[in-house]
Amino acid sequence: MMQIDRLADMEEKLRILEDLNMIYIRQIALSLKDSDIQKKIDYEIRMREGACKLLAACSQRDQALEASKSLLTCNARIMAYMSELQRMKEAQVMQRVARRSSDAGPMDDRSPCKAKVAISDLRIPLMWKDTEYFKNKGELHRCAVFCLLQLGGEIFDTDMVMVDRTLTDICFDNTIVFNEASPGFELRVELYSCCSEEDYSAGSTPRKLASKLSTSLGRSSGKKMRGALEPGACSPTSNGGGAAILLPVPSVPGPKYHLLAHTTLNLSHVQDSFRTHDFTITGNEECSYWLPLYGGVCCRLAAQPHCMTQQMMSGCLRVKLGGEPQGWTNVYGVLKGTNLFCYHQKEDMEANVEPVLTIGINKETRIRAAEKDPHSKAQNICITNQYGGEEVMHTLAADSREDTQHWMEAFWQQFYDMSQWRQCCDDLMKIELPSPRKPAIVTPKQGSLYHEMVIDTSDDIGTVTDILARRIEEFDLRSQLGSPPHWMSLFDEDPPRSPHSHQHLPPHSPSPRLHSRCHRTPGLLSSNASLTSDSDSPTSVRPCFRQAWSPDSNSSSGRFRPRTLSLDAKLSTLRGRGYGGFRCNCQPPTASSGSPRPTQIALSCSSSTSSSSSSEGSNSQESDLGFSRPSSARRSLRNLRAKLDPRNWLQSQV
Amino acid sequence: MSFIPGHPVTAVVQRIEIHKLRDGDNLILGFSIGGGIDQDPSQNPFSEDKTDKGIYVTRVSKGGPAEVAGLRMGDKIMQVNGWDMTMVTHDQARKKLTKKNEDVVRLLVTRKSLENAVRQSMMQH
Repeated sequence: MMQIDRLADMEEKLRILEDLNMIYIRQIALSLKDSDIQKKIDYEIRMREGACKLLAACSQRDQALEASKSLLTCNARIMAYMSELQRMKEAQVMQRVARRSSDAGPMDDRSPCKAKVAISDLRIPLMWKDTEYFKNKGELHRCAVFCLLQLGGEIFDTDMVMVDRTLTDICFDNTIVFNEASPGFELRVELYSCCSEEDYSAGSTPRKLASKLSTSLGRSSGKKMRGALEPGACSPTSNGGGAAILLPVPSVPGPKYHLLAHTTLNLSHVQDSFRTHDFTITGNEECSYWLPLYGGVCCRLAAQPHCMTQQMMSGCLRVKLGGEPQGWTNVYGVLKGTNLFCYHQKEDMEANVEPVLTIGINKETRIRAAEKDPHSKAQNICITNQYGGEEVMHTLAADSREDTQHWMEAFWQQFYDMSQWRQCCDDLMKIELPSPRKPAIVTPKQGSLYHEMVIDTSDDIGTVTDILARRIEEFDLRSQLGSPPHWMSLFDEDPPRSPHSHQHLPPHSPSPRLHSRCHRTPGLLSSNASLTSDSDSPTSVRPCFRQAWSPDSNSSSGRFRPRTLSLDAKLSTLRGRGYGGFRCNCQPPTASSGSPRPTQIALSCSSSTSSSSSSEGSNSQESDLGFSRPSSARRSLRNLRAKLDPRNWLQSQV
Repeated sequence: MSFIPGHPVTAVVQRIEIHKLRDGDNLILGFSIGGGIDQDPSQNPFSEDKTDKGIYVTRVSKGGPAEVAGLRMGDKIMQVNGWDMTMVTHDQARKKLTKKNEDVVRLLVTRKSLENAVRQSMMQH
């Protein structure tokens, strides 16, 4: 009891602290006259409260996981904003101090341009123990994972992915774009995971077993219990570092994510293709949220510096084309990326007409201001490039001295940017903007006929077979339009198929001759028509309408045999091919009659077979498929096939 | 016949003694079973509770030993010769029923009608 009191006390204190902190933050923001960050913080706090409420209210596990994820993201963002605020405050104070001491050194007036950084196609390989990977029994240990990406003040999260041992990699399809990154950026990638185990009280385990287990926990279940009880909320120091006490995280019930791995990427990792980076893994095998990570993360980190995508400078220039000293051409120059495009006129550029001249501006280029041209007032700009071993020089002139100065400045800035952004300026890296996500199309669950039927307890098999009979008629009509499926040929009169059918028969079946002669109609039991399957494929028991039932057809006409089928027939087909008597009747059953007694027919056939196949025993009335016990070899084969089909609700005759 | 976790399972059962019929080398009882903890319980047409993974009688051959002994289609088998049938796989159940050295199997089965009958008779008193 004391514990609970103390906990409540602490929570109370935390709340007061929180409020105080909020006031403090607001003050800082006000003093900085930065309402922008304050608005963002307010927004995130509102989001966080919403997420907390949602977490407390939701009942579904995936809802809770999503809410917990947004909670974590909100917290991280709040941390980031607050650290930003603190930094700005510090910078402001430092500035004031610097001004006062009038010790401001020459400010570095050149700062590199910003860039758009995009990270996409995150893939984290997993390394399951081979025993785990191929295990197909037992519950699937699942974790919900997502990535948190932080650059500067921007934090984004990826979508949540459920991971279990059937996955070899965790893949995140999201493309995250950060605007306004500086060359010294640090992109922190964090992988959070949360164990997502079903409750034991759900109906997945047999109730008796569940009650037995509730008293004693095995190793894996104990781990899960511990995970659920772990109070580990998102550590406040995980993001924005150091802002631990500034805004303590409220602890809420519900699934909690834990940091599983992290890494930091910077400019050196930027490349226009996929690269694998090391992943630092926190946590160990004993944690409930553990996943066997391979230790790397594969992603595509691209950067588009503004100098590559935006026009850094544009204006009118004169270019000396050719070697002629007097051949000045007026052009409209645009400095963008690694080129200086010279258009005839400004309108051309807007119209996307090809430029007259393109001068490369890259790391190899050398630009210098030439001596004063005696003919003009302004200085000439000489751009020298190496084109395949040859030096090519272009001479440009601006209209006025200021223009020249501006252009030189622009070139210097461009060089500076390129030196700062290094490999990003070699070529423009493509960044695909994430498109609005389309909702996933949920395919309706394919079920067997049993899922569609509602069977009342008062009903019996009669209802079932009635429904199936109706279905068969539908199928009958439908299939008469088209060509019958190829497996219908199984039920041909002609023997060519019979060797095929024989493969289902036990080798020691005593009555192969019957098969070859007769139709393969199981002269069965009740007058209810339903479906059965005659072949041995694993889909045999699925309600596929292999045999149509036409009550008025008599024997050999066409492909549709008159069959009186029932649910039991299904069993018989599984059971024994040795039912020579049943598999073929010398005449079709008089199905049209009310309650056919094809048993006599069956008997007549069976009487000529040996006893290892069907035996009605001593009784002559027999409405079922008989008592014969198939041999163990047949049974094991049948069992194997039946067991292979998970949709098959196995029935065995004893 | 529904289960509440933590509570004992109670059911009204009927004893059924089936004398196996010898047919050459085979011993037959004359009924079919379905279900088992390794089977999909939702496909069981006889169970009241669609999560019940017990063994049910799906067919009874007319005039066979099982029918003679009083077994009916839809019965749930709770025990066979003392062996529990409520928490077994399909194959285990089949094996317990088809032991070669046993001529007689004594089953404990339950069905809804039994329960209703007992309830009715209790109400009458």
